[in-house]
Amino acid sequence: MTVLIFLIPITLALGLLGLGCFLWSLKNKQYEDLQGAANRILFDDLAENQDKK
Amino acid sequence: MVKFCLHCGENTKVETEDFCCLGCSAAYKIVGKFGFQNYYKLRQINSSVRKIKPEISEEIDVAEFTSREKDGSNSVSLIVQGLHCAACIWLIESILKKQKSVVAARINLSKKTLFLRWTGDAKTGNDLVHLIHEIGYKLLPFDAEILNSADKKYSDSILQALAVAGFGVGNVMLMSYSLWFADLNEMGRESRNLLHLFSSLISLPVIIFSARPFFASAWRSTKQGFPNMDLAISIAIFLACAVSLLQTLRGGTHVYFDSAVMLIFFLLIGRYLDLKARKKAFTIASEFTLLSASFGRVEENSKIKILPTKQLKEGMILVVAVGEKIAADGIIIEGKSEIDSALISGETLPKKVAQGSEVFAGTINLAAPLKIKITKAANKSLLSEIIRLSEEAENKKNHYIRISDYLSKFYTPAVHILALGTFIFWLKSGWENALMNATAVLIITCPCALALAVPIVQTIVISNFIRKGILLKSGEALEKLRNIDLVVFDKTGSLTIGSPRLVEIFLLQKNEKILPTNTQKNYYLKLAATLAAKSRHPISKAILESFEGQLETLQVQEYQGLGLESNFENKVLKLGRKSFCQLKNNFEFDQNKLTCFAKFGEDELVFLFEDALKLDAKNTIEALKKMGKKIILLSGDAKNSVENIAKKLQISEFYFEQTPLSKVQFLEKLKAKNQKFIMVGDGLNDAPALALAHVSISFSKASDISQNIADVVICGEKLTPIIELINSAAKAISLMKQNLLIALLYNLFAVPYAMAGHVVPLIAAIAMSSSSLLVLFNSLRINSAK
Repeated sequence: MTVLIFLIPITLALGLLGLGCFLWSLKNKQYEDLQGAANRILFDDLAENQDKK
Repeated sequence: MVKFCLHCGENTKVETEDFCCLGCSAAYKIVGKFGFQNYYKLRQINSSVRKIKPEISEEIDVAEFTSREKDGSNSVSLIVQGLHCAACIWLIESILKKQKSVVAARINLSKKTLFLRWTGDAKTGNDLVHLIHEIGYKLLPFDAEILNSADKKYSDSILQALAVAGFGVGNVMLMSYSLWFADLNEMGRESRNLLHLFSSLISLPVIIFSARPFFASAWRSTKQGFPNMDLAISIAIFLACAVSLLQTLRGGTHVYFDSAVMLIFFLLIGRYLDLKARKKAFTIASEFTLLSASFGRVEENSKIKILPTKQLKEGMILVVAVGEKIAADGIIIEGKSEIDSALISGETLPKKVAQGSEVFAGTINLAAPLKIKITKAANKSLLSEIIRLSEEAENKKNHYIRISDYLSKFYTPAVHILALGTFIFWLKSGWENALMNATAVLIITCPCALALAVPIVQTIVISNFIRKGILLKSGEALEKLRNIDLVVFDKTGSLTIGSPRLVEIFLLQKNEKILPTNTQKNYYLKLAATLAAKSRHPISKAILESFEGQLETLQVQEYQGLGLESNFENKVLKLGRKSFCQLKNNFEFDQNKLTCFAKFGEDELVFLFEDALKLDAKNTIEALKKMGKKIILLSGDAKNSVENIAKKLQISEFYFEQTPLSKVQFLEKLKAKNQKFIMVGDGLNDAPALALAHVSISFSKASDISQNIADVVICGEKLTPIIELINSAAKAISLMKQNLLIALLYNLFAVPYAMAGHVVPLIAAIAMSSSSLLVLFNSLRINSAK
């Protein structure tokens, strides 16, 4: 059972990593414009081609 | 063949023309110049959004709204009107990014805002805004602080707390699972203590972080002397933590960390949904800053100066061009014109004005240039008066007590008495045991399902309505819709379409009117529409709209304020005022209707117009009456036209020539009689009334202020959504009540167990999650109930 002493902190560290990522994305305003993000992807290619011209 | 404008997609009416107006043609060239022709292939025009059509726009100065960034560039936030689809975002952003001065340009499609950053002074910024105006989108600067309001910060903090609580629940459950299902013989005392220790290490920080919204709200409400449900929640969480910590340190059997964290998690979900259902994007105050962003042209020492509306003072001379909004209240000192005051007074027909007439800020000058002497500074104008009135009315609105708040008034004391009773009863078996059992009672009665019951239904209903083009801005409106006694309608723009429509054409012969044959009618209409196409007068627009097909190509001369003239097959064509057309026939016409005269060669014609009813107005009124609602018509328009509409719709109670203030006074009287009413209105003059109403409904074509104040905004010209709204509200309320009943029943069963000391953490967890799930599934029934 001593393995628990290592395993539990590892799970916690992984969980905290995920939590940290989420909080970072929240702070970074990733959820400000969900509608725009969904639509924007359609025009990514186009924007690139335009730049090359 | 009908041809559509290459730029804005409107019917061009002339087959040889590619564009509907010069503005669109210029816009098309700009888009082409920057190499974005692809835009026209990719975009999808959404008919409910403002057309992408350049207007003679008021000049906009972003200077007052810019803020300086660290690197010396300037930035401003603007509201974008006319966003149809993703291609619009792409076009605006790409064109802006091609400008050398632009550092960043990003559109937020959900909020319909543009963030623009550039190097250079405010003038460069104005040029950028002007460029986008020329393509046909409208940009309005606003104070970016509004987006960072307290509401937004609160909703962000709830989301953060939710994320942390979610993390806590997941990880504590890992420990709890083994604690629940393995007994001491299998696990050993040391393992159990270790798991308890880890549970507390995860839970305590999580609880301290995530439960702050509840602690804060409980503290606030207790300080005010009205403890709310959050107090019960806070006490339960605090006790659960204290007891569990004690048990952990002493190597005890049960800890309630998992229950406490799960509780917070569920409650935060409810809180978040509630917040989403309740939020209003912009306040009236912010709308005012938008309005005051407009400008007036002032003549000083025979020089023209452009001043922001705010700086307009009494006695200044204002010069107003055709098609411009008048910036301040005043008296005309030079010029004759027609004024569209639909926004302010609700009158459909343009008003003729001449030297000495009084005009108000916010009205639009239609026919000829005017010079106006300002009589009231902008902050005292009728427009700002209306806005002030609206804000006052909104403050006066009684605070609505929501169902769940009402329930918590009884629930909280009851729960605390039960817990206290349990504690006293178990004292004889030791205080530690008594405290454990009392805590179990508090945990099991914690209103998880209760907190989820209402917001879940609200969220589902609101998202259903959005799909149907009905914008419900607050979840509370749903609860308030359930016991409405009467519906108050505004006329222009609410019951009627809001602009004149052509109803009849008559031929005049020997002082008599006769109906033309169909071929004649088409011929005349075609000629009239050809002339009308060159003018922006509401009547010209009405003629053009009623004509389907292609126009002649003619040289048309416009005489401001009088009419239009042209030549066709050696005949002189005239359209406009009676005197302008020089008619030989004489005839009296219905005073209710607006008239326009024409002389095509020797044929003399009269066109009759009316502000037509919305197609479903009659059905809606009938259905509302059947539901037992009283109907009142409250209009700013003249007696004749209001009477006419009331007769058509069989509305017995109607009032005319109402000012914004008298509307409010009328509604206040209703309120004093304890009548609950819906106000349906669209104009600026309705705004104070809308703010006062129990539930207010407006339309997507309405003035911005009305839309902002209204609880519900209906897209398009339909009225039937009102019926749908009332019906759905009834359904939603019954579901909410069922949900609350489920939550209460669960408590009724679980509490005796807890008081008897049988509730171990496992049972608490099962009871809590199952009751929440039950409430969720019951709420989803609203989708299948239809």
